[in-house]
Amino acid sequence: MQTNVRSTALQTFSEAAQTIVNPEVQKWKNQGGKIMGYFCAAMPVEMITAAGFLPFRVRATGSTGTELSDAYFGNINCSFPRHAFNMALRGEYDFLDGVVIFNSCDHIRRLYDHWIRQMKTPFVKILSLPRKDEPAQVKWFRDELAILREHMQEHFRVEITDDKLREAIALHNASRRRQRDLYELRKTDRPPITGTEMLAVTVAGTAMPPIRYNQLLGELLEDVGRASGHSDYRARLMITGGELDNPEFIRVIEGQGGLVVTDALCFGSRLIWRDVDQSVSDPLTALAQYYVADRPSCARMYTRYEQRVEYIKKMIRDFNVDGVVYVRLTFCELWGFEQYSLVNDFKQSNIPLLCMDREYTLTGVGQLRTRVQAFLETLGDKHG
Amino acid sequence: MDEKKERSLSRMREEMAMFQPLLEILKADPGEMGNLQAFLVENIISNHRVIIDCVEQGKPFLASQFTNPVEILTAMDVPWYFHVQQQFAAGGTGGSPHTLEDLENMDRLGVPADCCTLLRLLLYYQVAGLLPIPTAYLALTEPCDSVAGLHAAFMNHPDWRDVPVFEPEVPYHDDARAYDYYAGELKRMIDFIAKHSGKTMNMNRLKEVVTETNKGYALWIEYSDLRRAVPTPHSYVMPLSGFYTLNTAGAGEPEKTQWYRDLVANAEARVRENRPEVPNQKIRLLWYDIQPMFFSELVPWLEQEWGAVIAMDMVSYCPHELVDTSTEDAMFRGLAKRALQHGPMIHQARGLVENVIADIRRIVTDYKIDCVIFPGHMGHKDMAATASIARETCRELGVPYLYIGMDICDKRYTSVDQIKDKISKFFTAMRLG
Repeated sequence: MQTNVRSTALQTFSEAAQTIVNPEVQKWKNQGGKIMGYFCAAMPVEMITAAGFLPFRVRATGSTGTELSDAYFGNINCSFPRHAFNMALRGEYDFLDGVVIFNSCDHIRRLYDHWIRQMKTPFVKILSLPRKDEPAQVKWFRDELAILREHMQEHFRVEITDDKLREAIALHNASRRRQRDLYELRKTDRPPITGTEMLAVTVAGTAMPPIRYNQLLGELLEDVGRASGHSDYRARLMITGGELDNPEFIRVIEGQGGLVVTDALCFGSRLIWRDVDQSVSDPLTALAQYYVADRPSCARMYTRYEQRVEYIKKMIRDFNVDGVVYVRLTFCELWGFEQYSLVNDFKQSNIPLLCMDREYTLTGVGQLRTRVQAFLETLGDKHG
Repeated sequence: MDEKKERSLSRMREEMAMFQPLLEILKADPGEMGNLQAFLVENIISNHRVIIDCVEQGKPFLASQFTNPVEILTAMDVPWYFHVQQQFAAGGTGGSPHTLEDLENMDRLGVPADCCTLLRLLLYYQVAGLLPIPTAYLALTEPCDSVAGLHAAFMNHPDWRDVPVFEPEVPYHDDARAYDYYAGELKRMIDFIAKHSGKTMNMNRLKEVVTETNKGYALWIEYSDLRRAVPTPHSYVMPLSGFYTLNTAGAGEPEKTQWYRDLVANAEARVRENRPEVPNQKIRLLWYDIQPMFFSELVPWLEQEWGAVIAMDMVSYCPHELVDTSTEDAMFRGLAKRALQHGPMIHQARGLVENVIADIRRIVTDYKIDCVIFPGHMGHKDMAATASIARETCRELGVPYLYIGMDICDKRYTSVDQIKDKISKFFTAMRLG
């Protein structure tokens, strides 16, 4: 599917999504700025921004192998940490001044154990992220953030005041609002922006300074407003699942005629669908409430399955989705059991669903094409 | 009783029918170990009987598991069954006639095959109506992703969707703040149990129960110390039974404490008289993960073919501390710490890898271990990522290390013959035995 958007902003985002050290990161570093890496969508990036650092979500974009990390991970471990850690071992993450890791999943929490042993990153912390979302868990996570703030202040000799946190919350909320504005345009019969492009936009948001990002988002919104919409598609698709940061994966799907109009991904809508509540007086409580309870959850929040299904169903209605593509990284237990429930629920609700396991890097493109083509056949040519 | 309820009890009834004749044989001719074994068998049967009675009579009961402090359930006098234990039962894959049928039916569920078989099987039992539907249940979030994933699916089953559930949320850290947080979860759990069972908590009774489990733990520590002896006094089934006794229904009852006394007395006598249960011991193993359900096909082979004894294993080895019962707060903090730090699997798999390193170091030294076997269950993704650190630790200690790679429930993944072959080649290469 060709792009309909002529935009240098979109080009910048696409380039940022295709690489690790994009020009904005390079510029930040050249100016002496500090960069804090993180792995999970539940990381309150506002904390990093408030410290005056650049938040950078670790990916393994461009990785071609796991020859070094295979010494640390087993062959039943997820390919994402294996590729990411391989890049780290190759020195490709040496530009990070710190890393914050959560007990997000069994693979990533062990990546922390290896990271602190093998890497020389000056500041590495692990936070305990709750798996349920009641007040006690919000309070726990609020305290985790308070401890992280203390450690960052002490280590980097910076001040992360409540006012700075409030400013950062406002800044990131502004990003989310603009990103949602882009999603909004995809509800139309002729969405001006493809799923491939949208994923590049959200991924880029995790890899550049938020002020610059918001400026580019503003430009992109103007450019998209001038673009004609896509009408040359066979079906409107939604993608859901866990970690997916590669727009090329979506390009393969869209190449078969299925336009991805929305998603429930942790690099996509789940990152932006709600705002942090700016009316809460304690910014740490506001952040904890948002990241533990308010934002759309992932499969590790195991008591919130019903809300996740509701979220997907609402997306399906709002974006007029014809079929859902569920992607899971092989060996992911959380999304594995989720898949079982979702298959049964969607069958009952008559929602067409294609489940696909994948490796982190884009492999098996031929098989992916074939399966998407077959899925589109079952959906019929609804929009052609 | 309707057909659904009857079916939900069918595996329990089968297990009782299987154990009853065994119990009679043990009682008729107990031998030296028979009384210890008979107690465990009777305990399983009586626990099943309680749940069957609850289902038949419509009395409240819970489903739970060992990481939710069992002392609380005993003190509140709430019947419960350990729903993650079903796979190990006679009705499950423990060499029962259902083994293959269950695994094949499980495969048809549609949960990806790379997810933990132990928990996919449990989901199958639920879907197939083979688990008694409790009045309420206590889920768990740790030690691994599959446990959390499974419970998300569990809660969504049409027959269980309306069953109230409480999920004690387990923190990742091991410090006073984490213990206090988890103690808070336990207090909320008590409120939940009271609400749905109609039972209340009496703190004096809880103190009484904890005092009794403390005695059990003290004796378990003593027993574990006795296993350091060369030759080790017992075969492998006894340390595992130690775990079972303190972590299932009825924990904190004086009869269980007496069982530990008898266990220790027997082990002491065997050490004193140099009369080990397994003769000709040549290799002392550390088995570092949970045991496969087909262990009965491996352990006798290890002992007889190679003179290899499992001197210690992951499930049986936990750094037990006794719970301070002097105040209510101290008691809850102690129970929280016990749940987070002392529970098998939770202790090793929940938090940072430091516990694994420390365990291996201590066990290898204290138990004079000749080699470490890391079975590598396909469901234990965290352990797969830990194996390299375990290997490194063994290298530093100068002790040989073998990673196998198996499915503890499904011999089709790595057959018993393949496992034996790997172990044999390892022993030979390392000049052990």
